[in-house]
Amino acid sequence: MSEPLVRVRGLSKRFGHHTVLDGIDLDVARGSVAVVLGPSGSGKSTLLRTVNHLEKPDAGFVEVNGEIIGYRRDGTRLRELSDRAITRQRSRIGMVFQQFNLFPHKTALENVLEGQLAAGVRRGPAEARGRELLDRVGLADKERSYPRQMSGGQQQRVAIARALAVEPELMLFDEPTSALDPEMVGEVLGVMKDLARTGMTMIVVTHEIGFAREVADQVVFLDEGRLVEAGTPDAVLTEPTHERARAFLSAVL
Amino acid sequence: MSVDEAVRRPLLARDGDEELLGARLVARRKPGQWISAVLVLLVVAGIVKSLVTNPRYHWDVVGAFFLRPSILDGLVLTLWLTAAVLVSSYLLGIVLAVMRLSANPVLSSVSAVYIWFFRSVPPLLQLLFWFQMASLYPQISLGIPFLKPFVTIETAHLFSGLLAAFVGLTFDMAAFAAEIIRGGLVSVEAGQTEAAKALGLSKARIFWRIVLPQAMPAIIPASGNLLIGLLKGTSIVSVIAVQDLLYSVQLIYAQNYLVIPLLLVATIWYLILVTILSTIQFFVERHYARGKGARSGFWQLWRGQLPLVPRSRPRRDLEVLR
Ligand SMILES: Nc1ncnc2c1ncn2[C@@H]1O[C@H](COP(=O)(O)OP(=O)(O)OP(=O)(O)O)[C@@H](O)[C@H]1O
Ligand SMILES: [Mg+2]
Repeated sequence: MSEPLVRVRGLSKRFGHHTVLDGIDLDVARGSVAVVLGPSGSGKSTLLRTVNHLEKPDAGFVEVNGEIIGYRRDGTRLRELSDRAITRQRSRIGMVFQQFNLFPHKTALENVLEGQLAAGVRRGPAEARGRELLDRVGLADKERSYPRQMSGGQQQRVAIARALAVEPELMLFDEPTSALDPEMVGEVLGVMKDLARTGMTMIVVTHEIGFAREVADQVVFLDEGRLVEAGTPDAVLTEPTHERARAFLSAVL
Repeated sequence: MSVDEAVRRPLLARDGDEELLGARLVARRKPGQWISAVLVLLVVAGIVKSLVTNPRYHWDVVGAFFLRPSILDGLVLTLWLTAAVLVSSYLLGIVLAVMRLSANPVLSSVSAVYIWFFRSVPPLLQLLFWFQMASLYPQISLGIPFLKPFVTIETAHLFSGLLAAFVGLTFDMAAFAAEIIRGGLVSVEAGQTEAAKALGLSKARIFWRIVLPQAMPAIIPASGNLLIGLLKGTSIVSVIAVQDLLYSVQLIYAQNYLVIPLLLVATIWYLILVTILSTIQFFVERHYARGKGARSGFWQLWRGQLPLVPRSRPRRDLEVLR
């Protein structure tokens, strides 16, 4: 394994008295794909959201490319960064949501432009790159369409293009196909497989076991905020040692 | 009988099916609709007739005074005051709405108290109050409380009638605008802010480019009504002798006693202004309807959305709008 791009150490998060993440340790190698499995409410979304500081950890830290996310080291303390610095860090991490969350008042192309314009890219080059990305996800002809005029699968592909536009070094996917009709799942997974092949580092929360088996370099299993299982897809998917993991996998397979 | 056979079984035919298939469909007659329409038209005709034939309306006087320079000056003042109050109250309203939604309890409560206070006090009362400001605070000083002020202004020079009107109406409007804006902002899904944050957009950018535009469709219809109310509401400045449209008319009829025709002059001007505002509102609403599905034709939208014209089918098109 090469040098990890993402290092998660001792990551804990509470909502009130409810411990949602409990001392998570995880490495994701540069250019590899990690799939996160786990029952509903086990903390998968919270883990992803903490990685780009949409959620602040209560303990532990996330490091991406050697930089601690959301904090700066100051002797024995971690001091929270300015909004500006956090914004800059986030622009290097792409995120794709279950509900797509495209901007409904903007066309497909404008959606893809938004992050680049915020990063100070000029409109001309931004549009060129936007078109190239829409082409890459197979939607070159949809650049003027508004989200409402597109199918779920198309919207999710635009959302992937939008996240890629700012040239992230890490992509987070939170159940990207769970809100899709079955016949559209394939087209979105196809785009994600292509992306994995280009060497993008990805953390993917999904229930698509086939995708995990085919694409993942590493599969981890979360249960009640603890990482109870981690290993190659073969090891975790075929011979899970943890009881909850075994029950969960026999239910989804 | 297997399922397969049941599916392939021929459909049950009955005598007369052929005739039924060929029959013409005749809609039910609705005589009640015709009768009510005729009754309403009779009433309207009666009103129109009296407007035209009653000589005491003095339509010739209306025509003679309609474009008088003093009335046009009053009209311009009404428009200026409305525009100035609109801009300043919405800027203040945005600040108040954001404060109200802020996680900071101090900002949120100050905004709540402001809204409570200024929604409760009648604008006319406020106007009189600001007009009397000089007797309450002869001087206004800018600076930090309990320290030596940076600037000191004599209030008597500050609060002319017009400024009192501007300040009073702005404070009043801002409270209502803040509530409308807040309602619009909370109607935008949290996922939108999250997605924008994840893309690396700054807070200001998220507000101006992502959240506020999506709040607009919820903000504009209510704001249109508020603006029309403001335009008419500016007429209260006539009580402190600010020469707006209404006061200009009053000055004239105080001399020639032609009260009714001059009030009609003002009425017609207000009708014209509100019609123009409603039309502008229509185009703004259409602009912000981007991405909200198919656009219908101009007349369809005009009939359905122009607040000045009652909606033709209130129930059915409500569903379409949402
Ligand atoms: N903002 C919040 N405030 C309070 N509790 C929260 C919040 N966000 C998540 N939780 C709780 O944290 C727990 C884990 O939530 P999370 O969304 O991370 O689960 P998940 O594994 O993604 O589940 P799912 O498969 O249903 O998406 C849940 O019990 C949830 O109710
Ligand atoms: Mg989740």
